[in-house]
Amino acid sequence: MIPCNCVVQDAQVSAASEAVLRQNLNAFTEKHFGEPAEISWLRVPAGSGFTAGSPSTSAIISIRANAPVSKAQREPLLRDLCAMWMAETNQTLNEVVGVISDPLPEEES
Amino acid sequence: MPLYVCNAAKGAIKDEAKPKIAADITRIHCDVTGAPPEFVHAFFVEDAPNQPLGDKTAFLFGSIRAGRNDEQKAQIVSQMRQSVETHAGIALDQIDMVTVDVPASWVLEGGAIMPEPGEEAEWMAKHHPVHAE
Repeated sequence: MIPCNCVVQDAQVSAASEAVLRQNLNAFTEKHFGEPAEISWLRVPAGSGFTAGSPSTSAIISIRANAPVSKAQREPLLRDLCAMWMAETNQTLNEVVGVISDPLPEEES
Repeated sequence: MPLYVCNAAKGAIKDEAKPKIAADITRIHCDVTGAPPEFVHAFFVEDAPNQPLGDKTAFLFGSIRAGRNDEQKAQIVSQMRQSVETHAGIALDQIDMVTVDVPASWVLEGGAIMPEPGEEAEWMAKHHPVHAE
């Protein structure tokens, strides 16, 4: 399983979109890492998210790979990840933060 | 990035305290590291299962770009815990905090790979429309 943490502003992602995003994230990790996603979904209540000290519209999607990812591989993966997210949510590039981490040393396959 | 997520027991941090703490988190991070405020995310949740509180009332988890030294991290932890104490009225010994380093090259924000610490001005001029003017 590929750990995948999503932190979203509650009002920005509907339950229907969440379901689609979960499916898409699973497809993403299956395609690129060969394993399904283990998704942790954290909704930030209205009035509880801030970027630069002002109310936030940002979403953070963080995936931990199961093998080290090269610099040449990582940026295209991040762009695909953010594009997939934006296509469903209509958020802009300035509202989406993507993270693809290398595995923890004990997790490397 | 950085992303600071403050998990607290239900009702421990009132809504009116959150923008004050978020403003402090933003200021503290920028003062200590020199990063621009546009990078700083501060989110508040309650009883989040993926950030167990243990025997504490509040837990502040900071994902920050790698490259900060131990003194900077200690300042961040100390000052942010104090902010939560001041604005939420939670005793300091009930507030836990950790930071983890995330390489800048692992993060895409604003459509671009994050800059290494110290390279923010050039990145902002190139990628942030307000600063490019």
